This record gives sequence, C-alpha cells and structure tokens, in this order.
Amino acid sequence: MNHLPDAGPRPGVRRVWRIDMALVTRAEGRMYLTPLVGFLLLFLGFPAIVNLIYSVSTVTFETLRSPVLSGFGNYVAVLNDREFWSSAWFSLRFGILTASAECLIGLFLAIFLAPLLSKRPVLMAPLMLPLMVAPAMVGLMYRLVLHEFAGPIPHYLFEWFGDSPAFLDINNAFRTLVVVETLQWTPFAFLLFYMAYSAIPLDVREASSLDGASPFEIVRWIDLPLMKPTLVIAFFIRFIDGFRVFDNVYALTGSGAGGSTTSLSIYVYQAFFKEGAIGKAVAASVVLFVASFIVLHGLNRLAGRGKL
Amino acid sequence: MVRVLRWIVFAIAVLAMNFPIVVTLITSLKSQRELSTNPGLWISQPTLDNYLEVLTQTSRFNIYAYLLNSTVAALIGTGLAIVLAFPAAYAIARSEAGKRLVLPIVINLRAVPLIIFAIPLYMMYQWLGLLDTRIGLGLILTIVNVPLALVILVNAISDVPAELDEAAKVDGASSLQVMMMIVRPVIRPALVTTFIFGFITAWNEFLFGLMLTTSRAVPMTVGASFFFAASGGGVKWGTASAVMMLGALPPALLGLVMYRQISGSMTAGAVKG
Repeated sequence: MNHLPDAGPRPGVRRVWRIDMALVTRAEGRMYLTPLVGFLLLFLGFPAIVNLIYSVSTVTFETLRSPVLSGFGNYVAVLNDREFWSSAWFSLRFGILTASAECLIGLFLAIFLAPLLSKRPVLMAPLMLPLMVAPAMVGLMYRLVLHEFAGPIPHYLFEWFGDSPAFLDINNAFRTLVVVETLQWTPFAFLLFYMAYSAIPLDVREASSLDGASPFEIVRWIDLPLMKPTLVIAFFIRFIDGFRVFDNVYALTGSGAGGSTTSLSIYVYQAFFKEGAIGKAVAASVVLFVASFIVLHGLNRLAGRGKL
Repeated sequence: MVRVLRWIVFAIAVLAMNFPIVVTLITSLKSQRELSTNPGLWISQPTLDNYLEVLTQTSRFNIYAYLLNSTVAALIGTGLAIVLAFPAAYAIARSEAGKRLVLPIVINLRAVPLIIFAIPLYMMYQWLGLLDTRIGLGLILTIVNVPLALVILVNAISDVPAELDEAAKVDGASSLQVMMMIVRPVIRPALVTTFIFGFITAWNEFLFGLMLTTSRAVPMTVGASFFFAASGGGVKWGTASAVMMLGALPPALLGLVMYRQISGSMTAGAVKG
C-alpha cells in the first residue's frame, strides 16, 4: 500500500505524500481520542481518585463532602472482616466453577452440534436466546421456577418423588446459583467455540481422516489444539464475569441465608447501601480493583506471549 | 442414528437453557385461579388477562414508565458510546496515537468489576443532581458500552483498505472528511452491529439502575423486581410473569436481528478462509 505509482512524472502527488507520511497524524489522532479519554477520565478517573481518598478517610453519609483523613483503618477493617473473605471465596469458587462448566458444555455442544448447525444456521437463534435476556430478569424468573408452590420444578419433583429440596436455602443456594449462571452463559462459550470450530479448514480434518484418525482423535489432536486460544479467552471472560457476579444472584437470593450467597460485588453494595459503612465499602472497592488489576495484568502478559 | 442423537441433544440444550423463559411465558398465560391449583407446564385455559392487567392498571406500578426509561437511557448509552468510540477507533486504526495506552485500558475495562466505581459515581451524581435521571443512567451505560464498541469499530476500520483513505487524501480531503465521508459509510454494518449489541447490553444492565435510580428513572430490569414485592397476598405470579415477558421482549427481538448478522459475518469469514 505504500507503493506510489511512478514517482517521477507527477511531482505534485509525491509532494503531498511526503508531507503526510501517516494517513492521520499523531496530533490529529490525539484530537480524535480526546472526547473518549475526557469522558473516561471524568467518569472513571475521578471516581478512582475519590475511592483512594475516601478509603483512607473517616466518612459517613452526613459528612459525605468533608472526609477526614484517618489512615488505613478502613483497609484493616476490610481485611479483618470474615464476611469479606467469605464473599471473596464465594466469588472465586463461583467464577471457576461456572467458567469450567460453561466451557466444557459449550465445547461439547459446539463440536457435537456442528453438523446440524452448519446445515441449518437458524438453529443458532434458540441457542443464543438466553444471552439476550437480562441476568437480573433471569434471576427473577428462577424465583418463579423454583418457588415451592408456584414453581414447576418443585411441583414435578413432589409429584414424581414425593420430595423437593429447598433450592435456595443455606445448603443448596450456591449450587443452584452455579446451575443458573451456567445455563444462561453456556451459549456464550458455545458461540465462541462454534465459530472457532467452523473456521478450521475442512481439508485438515479430511486429511487426518484419510490417514486413519478416528473422529475422537481428530478432535483431540487437530481441533482442540487449533481452538486453544479461543478456549483460553472464553474461560477467562467467563471467569471474570462469574467472579464479579451481581445481577442474577441479587435478584434470586440477595445475600442469601446467613450471607451464604454474598459475592464480592454484593459485599461492596451492602456495605454501602445497607450498612452505610462508606469507608469500608470504598476500601473493599480498592482491594477488588487491585485484585482485578493483578489478574488482568497476568492475563495480558499471557495473551501477549501467545500472540492472541 | 447419530443424527437423531444430535437432534435430541439440541432439543435438551435449548429447553434447559431457555427453561426460565418457557416457564415464565406459560405462567403469564394462566389465569389467577388456575395458577393457585396448577403450577405445571401445561395451560388448561390460556388467557391474556395478566397482560391486560399490566398494561391497563398502571396506578401502582407503571410499566410504560419503566419501558420508556429503559429505552431512553439505552439510546443515550448506545448513541453516545458510538459517538465517542468511532473517532477514537479511527485514530487508533489509522495513526500512531492511542494504541499503547487508550486501547488496552479500554479493553480491560470490560473485565473490571464495575461496582468498584459505583460508590464514587453515586456521590458524584448526588452532587451533580444526576441521581434518578435518565440522562444520568444513560451516561453510565455509555461507560458499560464503550469497550465493546471500541473493539468492534477498531477491527472494522482496520479491515477497510487504507488505499481508500489515501485516494481521498490525494484528492485533498482532510482526515475528518475521510473519517466521516469515506470510512463511516463503509463500516456502516459494524456501526449497526455495535448499536444493536450496545442497546441490548444497556437494556439488560441492572447494577447501576438499582443504585442510581429510585422512582422517576427506574429502568425495566429494576422495575420488574417491584412486582415481586409482596402486595399483601404474596407475589402475583401471573402479572409478574407478564411484566418479565414484556421487559425481556425488546432485547430478545433485537437479538434475533443480531443473530442474523453474526451468522452473516460467520459465512463471510468462511468465504474469506
């Protein structure tokens, strides 16, 4: 693209080209970036600074605009709070379990259903529908689905087996939420995997099939290695979304019986809105920010090495 | 044989993943009386009464207000995100600016738990008088939408041959003219995809709707939960289900449009490969 037609006979063109080496100069580029950067600084940069200041201050709803610096007491309070650690543990387990389940089921569906879907792409639509519904709305829907009198699942369990577990009590809520999250977001992993799988040239598979490879061997030694970048990306996206989960958990169980379903996001929300413990909520936010920064930094380095 | 098995797996997957939607749809079509005796998956006397009630008796909870709030806030959140991201994407794709800092930071924003910013934003909104306003909610939804918008648009502009820009430049067009009159029409499909995707995301957002609105600007996702607040005799499952179906309808319909675009770009990729 940088080859000019014969330079000699058209000096005018050549002169223009020499002045503007880049299509858009760096100064112009900065100008085009300014609105976005300004917006982000106002809506994320400013809050980040407020977070940092308030996290080392004593502040209540009454003294919201005049925080008094008071050192790291808020951080100590957060890090000594058993609730904080149990919610961190909840988020971590939730993220890993749901991401794993979603990727495994999604991978199976993508490969197993590929022959069906490649002939009839319209079948993708019902598989993708769960992604279009608000997670909060899905959480509310499960209140109905699992309700002991109005819900069909307890109804049929009672009818068939004479008993139905309390899906949302302290022992079962975590498992129930994992299933709820997995069922809604498996389509996301499935979609990524199906696209990656479809992008593998058919002749690669045909060639190995001619060489006597079984379908299982083709998946194991051809497809999976080629899909590896997508597998990694899908897992991390789903892990992060599971880790910071709020909407469906809040809508379905809130913080749960005995705080059994308090994710980190719900912890921060409750510290602020329910307890009014602003300093603690803000300090927890900063801790969460640092944690996600570390995870993201590691992820980016991993991605950089793998040229993703 | 395997073909039959594939169909069975497909059917199970669709039913399991869409189960809450199916149950809600069925429940929304049952009469108040039938609901108390029949929680199963069949309807003996389908009725639209629940929808009628939701759409006509709006004195306590006004579903039109929630739908309007969601629409306005989502339009602001999507439109503004594109207005901000498009020039930035052009700069990133065509110049040296923004590649090393802005792009990675914005991409990673997608993965940051947004609750981190929620509390200072709440205070900031209180100072600015933006609490419980559609504009305020729309501005936050912009933040939610910007990362994906930027990625889609940078990819789309990078796919446009630079020769097109060069030709226009040689003819004396400024970079602003190139951006608006050459690049923008060429990447129109990507802009549409971004818009639809952003609108769905914004419509479905819950956390900021919950925190930043209380009455006047409540979006549909938050408003739907009001119908679960027991009104004396417990939850009225029929009306609550009708509300959820109506609230889930706009993004679901748009999603069907988007599905075509996704499969369209999929086949385009297949042709290219």
